[in-house]
Amino acid sequence: MDRQAIRSAGSKFAVIALLVCMGSALAQQIPGGRGRAGGPPGGPPVAGIPQAGGGDLPTENTDDSAEMRARRAAGLATGGVPPLPDNAPQPSPDPRNFEGTWYHADSLVTFIARDMFGIPLPYTPEGRKVTKRRADGIKNGTPYVNASAYCIPVGQFWQFDLNMPFQIFQSKDMVELQFQEFHGLISIALDPAKAPPPGYMGSSVGHWDGNTLVVETSGFKEGLWLTTRGSSMSRDAKLTQRIRKMTTGGKWYLEVIYTVDDPTYYTQAWSFARRYAWRPDMTLFKEYNCELSTGAEGGVDPSLVPEPAD
Amino acid sequence: MIMERARFSYLHAVALQLAVCAALLPLRTIAADAVNLEGTWRIAAPQSSFKPEGGPVPFTAEGRKRYQQNKRAQAKGDFDDYDYATSRCASPGLPRLMLTAGRLRVWQRPGIVTIRFETNRLFRQIDMGGLMPQTSGNGPGGTDEAALVGRAIPISKGKWEGNTLVVTTGGFPDNTLVDDLVPHGYDMKLTERIRLRDQDTLEDRITIEDPEFFTKPWQTVVSYKRQPDEIFPESVCLDRLKLDHWPPSRKGR
Repeated sequence: MDRQAIRSAGSKFAVIALLVCMGSALAQQIPGGRGRAGGPPGGPPVAGIPQAGGGDLPTENTDDSAEMRARRAAGLATGGVPPLPDNAPQPSPDPRNFEGTWYHADSLVTFIARDMFGIPLPYTPEGRKVTKRRADGIKNGTPYVNASAYCIPVGQFWQFDLNMPFQIFQSKDMVELQFQEFHGLISIALDPAKAPPPGYMGSSVGHWDGNTLVVETSGFKEGLWLTTRGSSMSRDAKLTQRIRKMTTGGKWYLEVIYTVDDPTYYTQAWSFARRYAWRPDMTLFKEYNCELSTGAEGGVDPSLVPEPAD
Repeated sequence: MIMERARFSYLHAVALQLAVCAALLPLRTIAADAVNLEGTWRIAAPQSSFKPEGGPVPFTAEGRKRYQQNKRAQAKGDFDDYDYATSRCASPGLPRLMLTAGRLRVWQRPGIVTIRFETNRLFRQIDMGGLMPQTSGNGPGGTDEAALVGRAIPISKGKWEGNTLVVTTGGFPDNTLVDDLVPHGYDMKLTERIRLRDQDTLEDRITIEDPEFFTKPWQTVVSYKRQPDEIFPESVCLDRLKLDHWPPSRKGR
């Protein structure tokens, strides 16, 4: 091997090593599913589709609590946590390694009125009835009891989105997401033959699409409250989460695109995107021992109303 | 000779590049002296009470009094008088959680060892040192309120002594139990020496101290056998209780 050949081989190896080391994010694609009128699920907004929400449902989809309104009015941050210092540990450079601690990076969503393209959610009559009932219950001061009040698993979107961190552990066969809130857990089998049985969090199977982990969940024991003000998903739904690690402006995020395919409550599949920030400073969790209260006789808030069966 | 130097030079450059790359990875590595405890485990001999080594539990008068009260309540089924884990599905706390009949999974990561329990999705965290300072009250000892009233499962401190993971835990409430009957107070301190007895056997030697309830520290040993790495089915303890508005399942939703 002559000197030039050695130089060339060395350079190529160095470049390959650097690429392997740093990884690269691949373009995110939206999963398929039942078609949206005028376009594929998750596709761009389509001309002619109404942009206004149904007038009898909430339209505000961010945290409108008094505290958040006051913070916004004062020009204060609503995320509630300080930025990471420059010398904070970084996540693995492996784009398929999501391990570490994450915490929601977007404002809390209390009601989902529109999908991620701003299109109103395509309710079936049944979906609209259940969602309106829940929203009205809160508005009228007679909220319905839900999984959160019982301290049972609350479902994917709620579990991910509240102001508490979660950690991800990975092995060749599984991905586990351990949440501080409700000591919640999502277990994802990477081999469909090893999928967990149905449960409140459904049964989740994942596969890799490039560097995106595609998680398909069905087998929900209960219909879900997706948000605290009653956005709904029936027990018959199939939920798809496309999870990828990305960096923006030197900050690391997990991007999760949720697609709800639920013929009982929605006429078409719809998608919603959220980001979760890398937070190694939240690795040590607070204790969440809510059963101590809710497990007591009369421990479920008596002001909460049992939700009617449909 | 020149070619040899060139080969050395470029291979050196590649090695340097890989070294820079590797410098990004220490967060993903575990201390060199650590033993790999990872895996799925199940208690070898299911039991609801710890078996003390070298004689009975060395109760103080107060400890014995509370123990006898608990036994009487247990016989009458009055669990909510002394055992919220049974009556309410509250966290059993430590060290009782280490007696769980379900499986447990160890995730060993830089700066932290997490033990995930099949039972009711519970977990414990062992701070091995080296984590960045924690924000939002998530630091060792927990939140301010936790410092006042304790945690059923406090964050433990761990360090390696040879092949043994030595774990210390303090900061408990007074409303959990050592096991199904033995009481403890706010000042209980646990020292666990966790090691692999062999590749398929995990051992936890637990020393329990609490001068209010025990005249001297006492020890017990629990062993676990390795299990296949499988996803645990969702475990929801509250499903077995009959509460107001319970169960939540209703048709059609």
